[in-house]
Amino acid sequence: MRLLNRNPWLLAMLLVSVTSLAYGQSKYQYGPNSQRQEGVPQGKVTQHRWENSKVFPGTQRDYWIYVPAQYDAAKAACVMIFNDGGGYVRDNGHSRVPLVFDNLIHQGKMPVTIGVFVNPGIIPPEQQGGAPRRNRSFEYDSLGDQYARFLIDELLPAVGKQYTLTDSPEGRAICGLSSGGICAFTAAWERPDYFSKVVSYIGSFTNIRGGHVYPAVIRKTEKKPIRVFLQEGDADLDNLFGNWPLANEQMAAALRYVGYDYQFVMGTEGHSGRHGGTILPEIMEWLWRDHPDNPAASK
Amino acid sequence: MKKLCFVLLLLSSTFTPIVAQDLPISQIMIEGESWELVAEGYQFTEGPAVNADGEVYFTDVPSSKIYKIDLAGKVSLFTDQANKTAGLMFGADGFLYGTSIGGKAIVRFDSQGVPTPIVEGVNCNDLVVLGNGTIFFTDHVEGKIWSVSSEGKLLEVAAGITFPNGLIAWPNQKQLVVADMRGRYLWNFCITADGQLKHQQPYSTMQLSVGKTESGADGMTVDKVGRVYVCTEQGVQIFDTQGRLSGVLAKPQRAFLSNITLGGPELNYLYATSTDKVYRRKLNTNGVRLAK
Repeated sequence: MRLLNRNPWLLAMLLVSVTSLAYGQSKYQYGPNSQRQEGVPQGKVTQHRWENSKVFPGTQRDYWIYVPAQYDAAKAACVMIFNDGGGYVRDNGHSRVPLVFDNLIHQGKMPVTIGVFVNPGIIPPEQQGGAPRRNRSFEYDSLGDQYARFLIDELLPAVGKQYTLTDSPEGRAICGLSSGGICAFTAAWERPDYFSKVVSYIGSFTNIRGGHVYPAVIRKTEKKPIRVFLQEGDADLDNLFGNWPLANEQMAAALRYVGYDYQFVMGTEGHSGRHGGTILPEIMEWLWRDHPDNPAASK
Repeated sequence: MKKLCFVLLLLSSTFTPIVAQDLPISQIMIEGESWELVAEGYQFTEGPAVNADGEVYFTDVPSSKIYKIDLAGKVSLFTDQANKTAGLMFGADGFLYGTSIGGKAIVRFDSQGVPTPIVEGVNCNDLVVLGNGTIFFTDHVEGKIWSVSSEGKLLEVAAGITFPNGLIAWPNQKQLVVADMRGRYLWNFCITADGQLKHQQPYSTMQLSVGKTESGADGMTVDKVGRVYVCTEQGVQIFDTQGRLSGVLAKPQRAFLSNITLGGPELNYLYATSTDKVYRRKLNTNGVRLAK
């Protein structure tokens, strides 16, 4: 270890190789639609900051907007929200969303869709030496409509000032993983008049802040116009909040019982975005398969 | 080293496990350890407070007496001039501070137990004393939080909580957490450099008993990790640093649980006041001396 202490770069390289090894061994590999393809027009990603939330007072957060090359201001684009957006927006992240969108939109397999990648908020300390109040669990794990209101009343209207966004719920989707996954479901569950499509990887439908009740609630609630994709891994968490694989099985069973348009994929990963990320192109094709602006839908 | 930090930061931002640190209560519970009776025969015990040596003081509110439990477990009278003092905490100056409900005052007791009011004419319930001498106290009558600066200046710093009762600061003393006895939330505030409160938020949701809409939340404490402990009807509810419920420790007895603090020389005994009795149990964690 002394050698490593003296050679921080060596330690870093070692960490990189160990991590790469772990990822390289995964049976879930990225396909061509998750990689940069020659001749495919590239969308543009811009980074922004949101510091004036009224729903979550005092919070600060980064967000990114992806605009596909095919976007035409004269025509309303679909919009898809990604919670924990910083992890989704990177070309080398778990989901590589800009690459996937570039490829699928180019191939006419999904409509022209603007991606909005939103990080959870933090409330910075008011004094030096203080720690920020991390708002992720409060925003993502809480049930109720507060996060939906943040998107609908605050963030998306601001994005809509720059870009022409659809006003139809069929054109709005929301995606997240872990607590961001249950958050995506909650946003659509609370506001199906606004969001109609949900993607959750390794969703925390567990008792972090009461979200374990969803399967029971879904079964006794008139079906809502929501389409749901759930990805889960059988090596996922089993901790004080609950058992993730069982919770997602319960969600899938409840959605099936009520007759929802849903897909459930159980893989073998743990609490990671890897599996969901590698199948994102297939998820997007399924999610948008019948949207009127999707060229593939009209074939 | 800076380079290494940068690389590690880069790595962590790319490969960070998605889970935040979980703090199940099994981490702080010790096999074979449970509540043990420390003192009994009182009317309504409250306000456990730990001094620099780890001795714990508590008050018997109706009799206006404050007692000391020494390190050998022996209980002795500290003062009989408490004038219905409920909340207690030691300041960095080594003196005991309290909320005198009878005197409607925030008071400081000298080493002989003689109280001197710092501010008077206030409704007060519980208090927390920070290292810089600032005192925050709850006013359950008006639903307000007040601060008293080290110079004795009284300031209303928050309002609109139904029944603010217990309160505590994060270990870094930059955040205040207030329990609503008639509601279900713990309210978080950022403490500003001039002793004001900002960014009020219902950061944690307490577990309620079936059929109840009120938590019955009372006294609070905090440990070195930043776990927040609050007495409720359900038991001692413990929240992690992201405001998530980690679990609930059973009450020492069925009767009302009023207040808690981490005491003993290592601050690793959770002392609890409950009507006629005082209990403690050993935990696998340590408290924080906010006033030092």
